[in-house]
Amino acid sequence: MGIITILWEKWREFRRDFYKITLAAMIAPLMYLVVFGMGIKTVTNGQPYLNFLIPGVVALTTMNGSFNAIAQNLNVQRLYEKAFDQVMISPTPLWQFIVGQIIGGSLRGLYAGIVILVLTIPIGTGLVFNGYSFLIMFLNGAVFSTIGVVVSFYARNHTDVPRFSNYIIMPMAYLCNTFFSTEQMPHGLREVIGALPLSQTSAMLRSIAAGEGCGYTGILILGVYLLVFGALAFAFLYKKKNL
Amino acid sequence: MIEIKNLTKRFEDFTAVDSLDLKIKTGEFFGLLGPNGAGKTTTISMLSTLLLPTEGEILIDGERLTRKNPALKRKISVITQEYSMRQDMTMDEIMEYQGRLYFMPVKKIREKSEELLEFCDLLPFRKRTVRHLSGGMKRKLMVCRALLTDPEILLLDEPTAGMDALSRRQMWNLLRQLNDKNLTILLTTHYMEEAQSLCERVAMMNHGRLEEVNTPQGMIEALGCYTVDQMTVSGTVSRYFHERSDAITYLSSLEGKCTLRDTTLEDVFIERADKNK
Repeated sequence: MGIITILWEKWREFRRDFYKITLAAMIAPLMYLVVFGMGIKTVTNGQPYLNFLIPGVVALTTMNGSFNAIAQNLNVQRLYEKAFDQVMISPTPLWQFIVGQIIGGSLRGLYAGIVILVLTIPIGTGLVFNGYSFLIMFLNGAVFSTIGVVVSFYARNHTDVPRFSNYIIMPMAYLCNTFFSTEQMPHGLREVIGALPLSQTSAMLRSIAAGEGCGYTGILILGVYLLVFGALAFAFLYKKKNL
Repeated sequence: MIEIKNLTKRFEDFTAVDSLDLKIKTGEFFGLLGPNGAGKTTTISMLSTLLLPTEGEILIDGERLTRKNPALKRKISVITQEYSMRQDMTMDEIMEYQGRLYFMPVKKIREKSEELLEFCDLLPFRKRTVRHLSGGMKRKLMVCRALLTDPEILLLDEPTAGMDALSRRQMWNLLRQLNDKNLTILLTTHYMEEAQSLCERVAMMNHGRLEEVNTPQGMIEALGCYTVDQMTVSGTVSRYFHERSDAITYLSSLEGKCTLRDTTLEDVFIERADKNK
């Protein structure tokens, strides 16, 4: 099965760069937690701000972990190393390659999120993270891995991926229900931002963390994003005449 | 058998390959020759499904080659012009990744890799990452990788580019041995000596169009088997003769530094290039 081959390749990469990957996953989220959560001590709805912040930071960490694991890597393989040519030439069905990338990226995102959760254990917030939380983190990772696949395929040069990160991923990291609630946004913008995958993930993780559980709407929305971006990736690989 | 029918590739308003028709028999060693920009690499890219044709089709043993045909893709291995490998992988990992992409059992991948790396004198460097290999070693590794999957068709896009003379000869010997085992080989090269030495038939391409398909000897005979080179102030001037006696007569009529020699495929190539200017 081609998916296993891609996961093997991702595992090899993870094992080799374990310390670098782990450190990279920790630095920015830790800064957010220290500066916003512990440095600027505030209270939201009678709860410490950290309780609001942690699920948001976990969501954005899974997003960054997944997107970065796929987009830049695949972009280098396709445009610089040309290693992707060998995948195209090989009999491994391209859908299996894409699914392998998505699962591999999701696992990287999940790992990054878990690292943050482990780091917050000593704070003793009393937040709940259960199987559903991990499923949502995985799904969020899957959506952003798929976006990573699409961006790396449509990129024409090496600077396109960082550019996409600057214009799309970074604003999402700040605006999508991570550091403050989308409820505080003006009408119209609130609905648009609220429908983005990271907003949904943050909301669901926060809801579960507060012991309230989460509905299926958010999961459904993540599923729709996954299907749309997945279809774009498949269309590129099977239909595009010049890779 | 590879059948290329009316194969055309356009990039916006530029036609890289124009209505190419070609048949390559099973077990044949076939050369695709032409100047830079003739369409050789584009043709190889279409044969490896990296590029999809604008028009026309490619049939392998009567079956249409597409990106969605894994059974057909399994028969083909490609050595691309560029070093298409992950720079951070070791030789062992490159081989294992390739084997896995072709659904080979891991045990078989490891056995065959060892055998191939040893054959190419690469075994001592198996733990070295690609970025720490010399150009020649990377080329050899690409050959090992291509052969790992026991292909029926081997597409070689300038496989000896950047290799020293000894490595190039070793590569030729290896390719001959493979061809003797009925492996169909399609080669593009800028080294005419290579094509003349290895290929049973060659196709001359220019501006995306096929100009002629013949044996190297057939092309040489058509030009004239004997060449008289005359060194002049403006450079070497060559004339070609079908009969040796005619060449000798011409040679004796010349003054200055002159030589008589056998015509090569390179002469054919240069003559055509001059005509196409």
